[in-house]
This record gives sequence, C-alpha cells and structure tokens, in this order.
Amino acid sequence: MKEQWRLLKTNFSTAFTNMAVDRAVLVTSSEGKVPPTVRFYGWKPSAISIGYFQSLEEEVDLDTCRKLGVDYVRRITGGGAVFHEEELTYSIVIPETHPQIPKNILKSYGRICGAVMKGLDNLGIESKYVPINDIITGGKKISGNAQTRKAKIVLQHGTVLTDVDVDKMFSVLKVPNEKIKDKLIADVKQRVTSIKHVLGKEIRFEDVAEAMKRGFEEEFDVELIEEPLSEEEKELTIKFEKECFSARDWNHRR
Amino acid sequence: MQSKSIYKVPNGKLLKISLDYDEKNNSITKINIMGDFFAYPEESIESMENELKNTMLEKESLIKKINSIIKGYNIEFIGLHVEGLTEGILMCKK
Repeated sequence: MKEQWRLLKTNFSTAFTNMAVDRAVLVTSSEGKVPPTVRFYGWKPSAISIGYFQSLEEEVDLDTCRKLGVDYVRRITGGGAVFHEEELTYSIVIPETHPQIPKNILKSYGRICGAVMKGLDNLGIESKYVPINDIITGGKKISGNAQTRKAKIVLQHGTVLTDVDVDKMFSVLKVPNEKIKDKLIADVKQRVTSIKHVLGKEIRFEDVAEAMKRGFEEEFDVELIEEPLSEEEKELTIKFEKECFSARDWNHRR
Repeated sequence: MQSKSIYKVPNGKLLKISLDYDEKNNSITKINIMGDFFAYPEESIESMENELKNTMLEKESLIKKINSIIKGYNIEFIGLHVEGLTEGILMCKK
C-alpha cells in the first residue's frame, strides 16, 4: 500500500491567512501531529509576497498597492518578490528526515520541483528545473519556488502561473532603476509565461490543482488524501495571521 | 556616512546592502543585508548584521569575520557567498 500524505485544498484566502496556514502546518508537523502535507491555494485579493531578506519599501510600491487593493506580506522563506494573482500556489511540509527528501537543500528544491513539473506534464506542458528555484517551459519561467527549514521540517512553497499581467505586476513592484523600467518590463514579458499562454486556453484552478495532485503523487509515489486543517492548525493560523503576517512590525521589519 | 549598493552576485541573486560606516575608523556602524537570496536559518542574518558592527571595511577583515559568523551560527547561503557579500559591502564605499 502506498504511503498516504495529507492534501489540503484551502482555495482562495488573503495573503496573511495563506502565509499563516503554511506556518501553522509547519508547527503541527514539527510536533509529529500531522502526516506530510501538500496544500494548494490561491490569493484573494491579489497580493505581493516578499522574501524574508527583502526590504518591503524597496521592493513594493505601497501607495499603488493601496489604490489597487493589492495586499502585501513578508514570507518566512527567502527569495524574491512575487505578485500573486492568476496562479495556483502549492506548499509541501515534510520532515527533513523523510526518505523522499534529500538532505542537501538545493537537491531538495529539485526534487520538490520535480512534482510540479510532473503536474505541468499532466497538463501537456513540458518543463525543466533551473536551479536555484525556477521551473521554465520553452525557455520562460512558469514557476518560482522558495524553501525554509525549521524545527527539522522542510516547508517549500511555490507558484504555478495560470496567467500573468506583467504591466500590473510592475505597477506594484518597484524596480532598482526607474530609467530602465520600460526595458525591464519588456524583458520580463519575454522571460515569463503561464499555463494559459502555453496552452492557448484557460484552465480552471481546480483542474490545475488536480494535475498538480497527481504530479505530487507520481513524484513521491504516495497517495494524497484530502483532509481539512486540524482544530489546532486553525487556531495557530488565526494567531500567526494576527501576531505576524498582518502585523506592521513583521512586514516592515526590513 | 550612509551608503547603499546593489550587486548581482556572480552565479547568485541580487544583493542589496544598506550601510552606515565610520569614515575615520573605516568600520561598519550599522548594516542591513537584503535581497532575494536564501540563507538558512533565516534569522541568522540578523545575528550576522549585529556581529558585523565595528568590522573594518577592507576585504580580508570582512572575509575573515563573515566566515567566522557563518561557522558560529552554522549558516548556509544559497544564491550568495562570502566573496559576493564582501564585494557588495565594499561597493558601498565606491
């Protein structure tokens, strides 16, 4: 019988809830209370997440965010700023001692990205992992990923772009040099793609989630069983959302 | 004296340094190490920023100090390395 992991489908939530759920699962997982967990989710309203080491005010145009109703949040993972709008986001939370997870951090990025690539393959999209943390198709980025390790647990989350509006993305993200902004936007349009663009048609969020579910099952040879968050995880989510992810101290700390 | 640098680390990520330094002593007063790199454990970057205070702003001292902090806090960088971080810090003086 195949090993059974938990599948969480939390659908669309705010940036603060989304990041709080990932952290809540990290905690229950570190206490051995839940099996390895794969989660699929989306963002409502649209939001920017920044990497742990980034400066909020250097990366994000806060005034434009407020005008457009775009939220912003600091992640507990490193990496870059991401504009979350039309995408499926996944997370996986698993003990670092699990035999399916390489001890080496970079290798484990590749392994988990393998599940996303199998998911894309299930949608008819051939893709390739490009270290450190990107997945590309046809030479263009379709997925970005970020991992942390805390309390002997691996948490990796990442995006799979279903559509992309580069102009809107750069209205809320700051660029280091305003003079070359137009060129930068043109470059990014050349370097980023989405499921919709590759397939030439819209794919429903649920269908992307199903393809990704099978991708994770195939990559790790497991069965994903859909379950809800535990009561403790729900309580932790509320706590982390309030005390951390929606708090000014956290988001403006760098 | 305050200064900033933006440095694309060779084979790595974009590093942004914000530096306050003592011109007379050529040493770090305050430093923020920012960017889209990865460091494990993440919180160790704040320890590194604290420990770098009073370090001389010259290559050998910085490399030695950063290596000793990495060892002391068991830090693993991905998309950043000691030479890149040193270069990013020293670029603030150029």
